[in-house]
Amino acid sequence: MKVPVGFKILLLTVATTGFYTLVGQLVPQKEVYPPKETELKKDMSQDELVKAGKDIMEGKGLCTTCHTFGKSGALRFPDLAGIGARAGTRRPGLSDVDYLAQSIYDPSAFIVPGFNPGMPVINKPPIGLTDQEILAVIAYLQSNGGKVTVTLQSKVWPLGSSATAAPPAAPAAPPAAAPAEPKKD
Amino acid sequence: MKSRLNLKIAVASLVVVAIAFAATVGIVRFVLSGEYRAPERSDQAQVTPRVQALQDEAAAKEKADREKPYVEETYRKFPVIGSRVAVWVLAQLHLLFAAFVLAVPLFALIIEFIGWLNGDERYNELAHEFTKLLSVSFSLTATFGAFLLFMLVLLYPKFMNYLMHVFSPTFAPYVGLFFFEAFFLYTYYYGWGKFSAVTHLLLGLGLNIVGTAIMLIANSWLTFMTTPAGVSESGAVISTWAAVHNYTWMPINIHRIIANVAFGGSVAAAYAAFKFLGAKTDEERAHYDWMGYIGNFVAICAFLPLPFAGYWLASEIYAYSQTLGLTMMGGAFSWLFIIQAVLIGNLFLGANYYLWLGMGRVEASERFQRYIKFLLILIALCFAVWATPRSIIATVSETRAMGGGAHPQLGYFGVMSAKNTAVNILILTTYVSFLLYRRSGRTPTVSWAKLGNALQFAIAFLAGATVLFLGVYGYFVEAKVRIGLSVPQVGSVLFAMISVTVIDVLMYRNAKSLGEVRWGKINPVSQYVLIFLAVTFTWLMGLMGYVRSGLRQHWHVYGIMRDTSVDAFTPTLGFATRVVSVTVLLFFLLIGFVFWLASLSDHKREHA
Repeated sequence: MKVPVGFKILLLTVATTGFYTLVGQLVPQKEVYPPKETELKKDMSQDELVKAGKDIMEGKGLCTTCHTFGKSGALRFPDLAGIGARAGTRRPGLSDVDYLAQSIYDPSAFIVPGFNPGMPVINKPPIGLTDQEILAVIAYLQSNGGKVTVTLQSKVWPLGSSATAAPPAAPAAPPAAAPAEPKKD
Repeated sequence: MKSRLNLKIAVASLVVVAIAFAATVGIVRFVLSGEYRAPERSDQAQVTPRVQALQDEAAAKEKADREKPYVEETYRKFPVIGSRVAVWVLAQLHLLFAAFVLAVPLFALIIEFIGWLNGDERYNELAHEFTKLLSVSFSLTATFGAFLLFMLVLLYPKFMNYLMHVFSPTFAPYVGLFFFEAFFLYTYYYGWGKFSAVTHLLLGLGLNIVGTAIMLIANSWLTFMTTPAGVSESGAVISTWAAVHNYTWMPINIHRIIANVAFGGSVAAAYAAFKFLGAKTDEERAHYDWMGYIGNFVAICAFLPLPFAGYWLASEIYAYSQTLGLTMMGGAFSWLFIIQAVLIGNLFLGANYYLWLGMGRVEASERFQRYIKFLLILIALCFAVWATPRSIIATVSETRAMGGGAHPQLGYFGVMSAKNTAVNILILTTYVSFLLYRRSGRTPTVSWAKLGNALQFAIAFLAGATVLFLGVYGYFVEAKVRIGLSVPQVGSVLFAMISVTVIDVLMYRNAKSLGEVRWGKINPVSQYVLIFLAVTFTWLMGLMGYVRSGLRQHWHVYGIMRDTSVDAFTPTLGFATRVVSVTVLLFFLLIGFVFWLASLSDHKREHA
């Protein structure tokens, strides 16, 4: 029996479409929902604040879309493992809190050598973290190798308004004098 | 005595009957009037509590209706499939037909122009035949466009209100251009052979300019949704031109023009294949074989630079927002690009296979067929690299054994350095296939042929080596340098394709023919390959349309207007691919109808 050409074409079209649909079913399936809000209470303990900061970084803040913790090699953005220890010495004249606050509120102010600028302003849409949420993020970053000094009552931005940040370790120096540390921020 | 007794009985009976009757009436009235009545009587009509309650209710409703405030709807719901899928399918169908309607005039004009230049009437006829597919497609494009607009206004009124707020100055020109489009389209088609050649070419040019202008305006709306500009943080308009000329507007314009030509060429080639397979004479087969070849040639020529336009678009997305870029390539949509790799791999395989089968219609092409196996191996290798994901789907124990989501060896092929290298070599290989086909049945007569061949080989080899070297080098440098390596990779391939073509054209001028091209004498499998390519192109457009739009995730306008509907989430890729497939099947059902209608004029001609 001779199969009509039209039927063969239909069969080919359906089979091709079916094959691509099948490929679509074989890859990982995940629904992505808008990030959930993390509840911040005034009477949070330090551990709770750090935990909230971690949740915000992985959720609403979208930080871990680009930044990693404990990875090395060909990275697109700086790895944040140990940032709590490095932040205070990263830029002369800036305390750890100042450095972290500046990195979040004004990310283009200093670019880690070896990387391109690209970090968005976090306290404006589409990410739009509140000042309180940013404090929680700073607490979590400090906890990565450093000492947590911020609370939800701290005021860290604009620079100089901080009551909790340690005084600058050294007098301010031009950015060119900043020590090169290409892989870690 | 007896008669007196009878009378008493009769009177008693009447009394009993009367009492029974009165009792029955009383019971019936009691049963029928179930309502409570006040015991006292009055001359005035009594309102029962029930009636009173009904009256109060009506009055309250009337008052509420009078005082009802106007509340603007944010969303309405489309039944069964939901608003998002309804708009998705309609938008995709509109875009597919629009792409076809924009692309066909572009290459019809080029073919007509070539025919006018070389005086070959066949080109003129071919261009005319391509435009036969246009008028019905144009109507379908407009119908789906109107349907889409109504659905958007109906289902997303608040969002549409905002878009109109930003883009209101662009709507009148858009509608006005549609009139011009209709004018040029119908004059171009129906005026075939009725105007002078130059006038007709100018009509075609007008059609293309107006069509492109329509696309540019529509592109500004959709690109603004992903990379908004020209508005304040709260969304108020600062500059309409800046909103139009946003980050991704020009890259999308260029990408779409090229992709439309590739798509239109492949659908036109599928039409030719459909006609070839149903042809009854050798003459028909020869004509449709040639038409399919030209359609596919147009599609592949446009397809080759498409990845470069795609890179530009992606880099502009990164430039606008690294978060958006990383969501696309490394976040929710990263696996979509593995599906894309399968599709593009198939396109390359199909395109090359068609060229190799096409060598069968050229006499004395056997000398080149021995190279095919090497080209196939190269394509298969590049395909495999491109389709290798960065993170492997694995169980927890497998992931632990690998020391992470990436495979210790295969993981190296999952990064951009490897993928850029693979796609550039794929493009170069396809170009070599075309070059071999072009040379089939001919041999150069120029004195410097040997030198020319050596030069061509050296250029192609150096381009391949450069691409490979930069691909490997990318593993050893920091991100800042690595990202920039794709430019010299692309540049070397483009340079090779252009320079080798120039040498080939010069070298094969006045070439000696070793045998003629026997149009129509080709394996019928080739025609199914053309249809496969058209379906794959269409599916790829559907998939990439989804990522372009889905990238905004839970935003109608990224960072400006949030999606708060029930559909404010990114569905699974499995779901997305099912929607794409349904759309593609609907498109082919409709384009089949267009093909059938176009064939009717042939029947008419045959019967005349």
